[in-house]
Amino acid sequence: MPDPTGQLQALAEAARSSIAAAADERALEDLRVRYLGKKGELSQVLRGMGQLPPEERPRVGEVVNRVRDEVEALLTRRRDGLAREKLDAELRGPVIDVTLPGRRLMPRGHRHPVTRAMDDIAAIFSRLGYEVASGPEIELDWFNFEALNIPADHPARDMQDTFYVDGATLGPAAQPGVLLRTHTSPVQVRSMQRAGQPPLRVVCPGRVYRSDYDQTHSPMFHQVEGLCVDRGITFADLKGTLAAYARAFFGPGTRTRFRPSYFPFTEPSAEVDVSCAICGGTGRKDGKRCGTCKETGWLEVLGAGMVHPKVLANGGFDPKQVTGFAFGFGVERMAMLRSGIDDLRLFFENDLRFLEQF
Amino acid sequence: MRISYKWLSEYVDLPPAEELACRLTAVGFEIEAIERVGGGLAGVVTARILSSEPHANAEKLSVTRVDAGGAEPLQVVCGAKNYRVGDVVPLATVGAKLPGGLEIKKAKLRGVDSFGMLCSARELGLSADASGLLILDGGLAPGRPIADALGLEDVLLEVNVTPNRPDALSHLGIAREVSALLGAPLKPPRAALREASGSASAAVRVRVEAPAKCGRYAARVVEGVKIGPSPEWLARRLESCGVRSISNVVDATNFVLLELGHPLHAFDLDKVAGAEIVVRTARPGERMTTLDGKERALDPDDLVIADRDRASALAGVMGGGDSEISAATTRVLVESAWFAPATVRRTSKRHGLHTEASHRFERGADQGMVLAALDRCAALVAELAGGTVREGVVDVFPRPLERARVRLSFDRPAALLGMPVSRADAERVLRGLGFEEQDAGADAATFVVPSWRVDVSGEEDLVEEIVRTQGYDAIPETVPALAGVTPSRPRQTEALDRAREALEAAGFSEAVNFSFVAARDAAAVSAEPAIALQNPISAELAVMRTSLLPSLLRNAGHNLRQRVEDLRLYEAARTYAPHPACAAPERGPDGAPAREAWRLGGVLTGRRSPLGWSTGSEPADFYDLKAALEGVFEALGLGAVELRGGGAPWLHPRSAATAVLPAGPDGAALELGSLGELHPSVAAAFELPRGVFAFELDLTALVERARVVPAYRPVPRFPAVLRDLAVVVAEPVPAAAVLARVRAEPLVEDVALFDVYRGAPLPAGRKNLALAIRYRLPERTLTDAEADAAHARILERLAADPAVRAELRSS
Repeated sequence: MPDPTGQLQALAEAARSSIAAAADERALEDLRVRYLGKKGELSQVLRGMGQLPPEERPRVGEVVNRVRDEVEALLTRRRDGLAREKLDAELRGPVIDVTLPGRRLMPRGHRHPVTRAMDDIAAIFSRLGYEVASGPEIELDWFNFEALNIPADHPARDMQDTFYVDGATLGPAAQPGVLLRTHTSPVQVRSMQRAGQPPLRVVCPGRVYRSDYDQTHSPMFHQVEGLCVDRGITFADLKGTLAAYARAFFGPGTRTRFRPSYFPFTEPSAEVDVSCAICGGTGRKDGKRCGTCKETGWLEVLGAGMVHPKVLANGGFDPKQVTGFAFGFGVERMAMLRSGIDDLRLFFENDLRFLEQF
Repeated sequence: MRISYKWLSEYVDLPPAEELACRLTAVGFEIEAIERVGGGLAGVVTARILSSEPHANAEKLSVTRVDAGGAEPLQVVCGAKNYRVGDVVPLATVGAKLPGGLEIKKAKLRGVDSFGMLCSARELGLSADASGLLILDGGLAPGRPIADALGLEDVLLEVNVTPNRPDALSHLGIAREVSALLGAPLKPPRAALREASGSASAAVRVRVEAPAKCGRYAARVVEGVKIGPSPEWLARRLESCGVRSISNVVDATNFVLLELGHPLHAFDLDKVAGAEIVVRTARPGERMTTLDGKERALDPDDLVIADRDRASALAGVMGGGDSEISAATTRVLVESAWFAPATVRRTSKRHGLHTEASHRFERGADQGMVLAALDRCAALVAELAGGTVREGVVDVFPRPLERARVRLSFDRPAALLGMPVSRADAERVLRGLGFEEQDAGADAATFVVPSWRVDVSGEEDLVEEIVRTQGYDAIPETVPALAGVTPSRPRQTEALDRAREALEAAGFSEAVNFSFVAARDAAAVSAEPAIALQNPISAELAVMRTSLLPSLLRNAGHNLRQRVEDLRLYEAARTYAPHPACAAPERGPDGAPAREAWRLGGVLTGRRSPLGWSTGSEPADFYDLKAALEGVFEALGLGAVELRGGGAPWLHPRSAATAVLPAGPDGAALELGSLGELHPSVAAAFELPRGVFAFELDLTALVERARVVPAYRPVPRFPAVLRDLAVVVAEPVPAAAVLARVRAEPLVEDVALFDVYRGAPLPAGRKNLALAIRYRLPERTLTDAEADAAHARILERLAADPAVRAELRSS
C-alpha cells in the first residue's frame, strides 16, 4: 500500500475547487456525498488504512481527519454563502406596489355622530360617578310638567311646544295626559323616586320631542339630563362639574360662564356658556368674524340650576335635608359645535356621505 | 320685548347702550339684539322755504329758495305742491345719502341749478307717506340735522324676558331692574290728572260676577274727546316698539302698556248698553266678534266684559268690535283690571289669540299697578284727545292679593350657593329690589315681596335674587365628593356597545331616525296598531313607529337616489306600542303610558365587498347579512343562536329566517327576530329595487341574555385528528340538520362546512356537502383507529336518519 497522503492532498485540492464552483444547494449535496458519503472518496481512503503498517496509521489518520474537517467546513461555508446569495438576490428583486389599496373585504361602518357624542358625554360623567338612567319617551303630563313645577295653564309651558298622543290609540289601558316628553327632565323625578334616598347621581341621554320644524329646529332631537342630589350639594358643585365636563368634551382650554336665567324646575337657574369651540373664544377666526359665536366668543349650550324644592319633594326627598343640582343640554348642538356641522337636518337624513365622516 | 333706550332713559339714568345690554344680560335679561335706528340721514337738515316760483321750462316743477342755516339761501328744484312759503321741511343737501341709496348731487333740472332735494317722509325712510314734502314743526331752527331735530336716533334693545318675570315687560319694569342694579334713582312717570266735576260712578256701573277670575276692575270716564291721529312723538314711540299707531285714544292705552306694563282697554261708553259693565263668564252658546273681525263661539269658562245685553270683550285678551273706539267716539271708558292668570291663558289658548295683554295677564299682572296705570292713561287720553276726566274711579276690588312674605335664614344663601354671602349684602340687594324687611331676628328675617314680583314665593327665590344681582362669577368651582357612589358601566351598556361594534365591523353605519313615521309606512311592514299623535307635524310624521324598518327602508331609498349603491345601515332605538288590554301600567317611577321596546334593525344592499382590485363584485346576499348578525351574536357571547327558516311577513318567503336563542342555563328558548330578503311588495311600497336585505331583532332580549364576560374552557393539550367527509343529501335537507348530527358524536370537537356542490354528476335535487371534522379527546391522544370508528359512526347515522338520508359521495 502506497502512502495515501499524496492521494489525500489531491482529494483536498479537488474538493476545494469543486466546492467553490458549486452553483447551488443540490450540487453541494452531491459533493458532500462524493467526498464524505459512506461510499465517498474519503471513506475509500479510510478503508485502505488497514493495509498500512500500524506505525503509519496514526499519522495518516490525522491527515484523513484534517482533510475531512476541512471539506466539511468548506461545505458549510459554501452552503451559507449560497443561502446568503440567494437571499441577497431575493432582497434585490422587484418590489410590490405598496400604493395599491389595502385588501378590505368590508370597510368599517360608522357610528352616528349623535351616538358618538352621547357615548362621550356618558363616559365623561361616568368618570365623575354618574350612572346612566332612562325613562319613557311617551310620558305622562305629570312627570314631564307637573312634577317639574310647571302646572297646567302656566306660561312656562309655552317654552316647549308639545306633541300630544291621541288617547284613542293608546289601547284599553290608556291614561289621560299622555305626551311625547319635551325634555329629558322627567327622568329627574323618576330617578329620585327610584333611588328613594341620597346620594343620587344620574345622567340620562335620550330622545326628546318638540312640535317645531324648521332650519334650526327638529321635531325630535337628543338631550342629556344630569342630576346630583345629596346633603350639602351647592351651586359651586354645579359650576365645578360643568366646567370639568366642558373641558373634557371641548378641550382643556375651554372656559365656562354662568348667566342667571329661568327654568321652572330649578332655583336659582342659569344659562351656561362655553368659550367658542371654533374660534377658541376670541371671536375671530382666520382674521375674520367667527360666525359660530357671532363674534361674542361664547356659545350658549346648557341650562342648569339648583333643583327646585318642589321638584325634590315630588321625587320623594325632603328639601330641608338635601339639595341638588340639575342640568340639561342638546346633544346635536354639542356635536355640531364640536365638529363644525352647520345643518341640524343632516343628523336625521342618514345620508351615508354624511355618516361616513364620523 | 323691544325696549327703546331713549324712552327707558326717562325713568333712570343709563350707562351707554352696550354696557346696559351687558349688565341686563348678566342679571337674567338676555339682550338678544341691539339695533341703532334713525342713523343714515347725515346731510339731511331742516330748511325753511323762503320763496317758491314756477319753473320756466317744466310745468310740474317749482324753483324754491330755502334757508338751510347757511350764510346764503340755497336754490332747490322741487316737484311737490303741498307746502307754503314759510314751512320748515327736510332738505337733503349735496353729498347726503338717503336710506333708499340715493346720493344727492348738484344737478341741473331743465336748465335750472338745484342744490339738494326737499324730502317726503318716505324718502327719509320714516313712513310710507310719499304724498308730498314732510312738513315739520314751524318752530324748528333751519340747519339742524334732521335726526336730531326729530329725535330719531335711538337704540332698540331686544330683551328676552323669561316667563317668570311679567313685571319686567315694560319700560318701567326694566328701569326698576336697572335702578336696583346700578343704584341709580328711579323716576317713575307721574299722571298729570285733572278731574272735572261729575263723578265717574254716575256715568257707569261696574259689577264683577266672577271674582275668582277678576280680582279687581277699575274704570275711569273721559268725556268730550275728539278721536284723531296721535302726535308724531307718540306714533314713533309705539312704532319703535313694534306697535302700530291707530288713534290717539287707543295709542294712549298701548303707550301705558309699554310704559308701565299694565294692559288697559278703552270702550266707547256710548256703545256700552245700559251704561253698565258686567264682568262675568260667557253664557252657553254666546258669541261675540273680536277686534280682529272674527266671530267667536264663547266657552262658559271664558271671562268676558259685557254690557247689559251682551259680551263686548274677551277679558284680558281682546276687545270686541261692538264697543270699539271709532272716529265718532266722544265718551271713553278706560278699563284697568286684574284678571287671574290661568283664566286668561285658557281663553287665549282656546281662541288662539295671543296678544300683548294676554301675554302679561297670563304671566301675572301687578295688582298694585291697576290704579296708577288707569290714572296715567286717563290723563293721557284727556291730553291727547282733548276731553275731561270725570271725578273718581269706579273700583270693584273683590279679591285683593296679599303680598307674599318669605322668611330667609341668612345662612341659606351660602348653603345653597357654596360661597359666603353676608347678611348686609343680602339685605341690600333685596331692599334695592323693593323687598321690605320685617321681623328681623339674629339669623333670619321676613321679606315682604313687592306686589309686582309674582314669581317670588320661597326662600330659594330670594337666594336667586341675591346671586342674580351679584353674578355667578363669584361662586367658586368645586366638585362633589364621590362618597356613596359606585361608578360602574352597566352590563347592558357594555352589551349594546358590543352589538354596535360588531355591526360596524361588518360595514354597517349607524342611522338615527325620527321616532314617528307615516301611518302607511308603519302599516306596510306590520299589522300592529301604532300610537298616533294628536298634533303631528305632518302626515309623514304621524304615528310612533312599531318597527325600525320603515325608517331604515326610507334611508335606503334616499341613499340609492343619491347613487350610494353599496349600503349597510343599522339603527338601535325604541319602538312603541300600546299596552295590552290586561296590563294597565304601573303609576310609579318605572311605569310608562306605552310599551317602549328596544330593537336593533338594519338594511343591506349592494356589493358584498367594495369594488376593489382584488375582490370580486358579487352582490351581497342572505349569507352576508347572516354573517354580520353572527358577528353580533358572537360579540354578545350568544354564539348558540340558531336560524330557522321562515320569518316576519316583510320578508321574502324564500329567503326568510328567524333567529332563535335555544333554551340554556340562562333561560328558555327565545325568538330574537327576523332577517332575510325584503318581500317584493314591501320593497315596492318603499320604492326600493329587489335585492335589499333587512333584519330586526329584539335588542332588550339580546342585551339581557348577553354574556359580556366569557366563560373559560380549558385549552386542549392533546393533538386532534382531522378527517374530511363528503355526503350527498336531498335539496330540502338543511345544512344545520347534517351538522347537528355530526356534532352529536362525542369525539367531534368541531366541524366546518367547506363546500356545497350541486350539478353533474349529481342528479337534480341532490347536493353534496363537504365537511372538515376535527376529532379530539381532552384527556389523552386520540388514536387513528378511534377517529376512524367515530367517522364511520357519523356516516352510518347520517345515512340511517330519515331526516337526512345521506350517502357517502361515490366519486
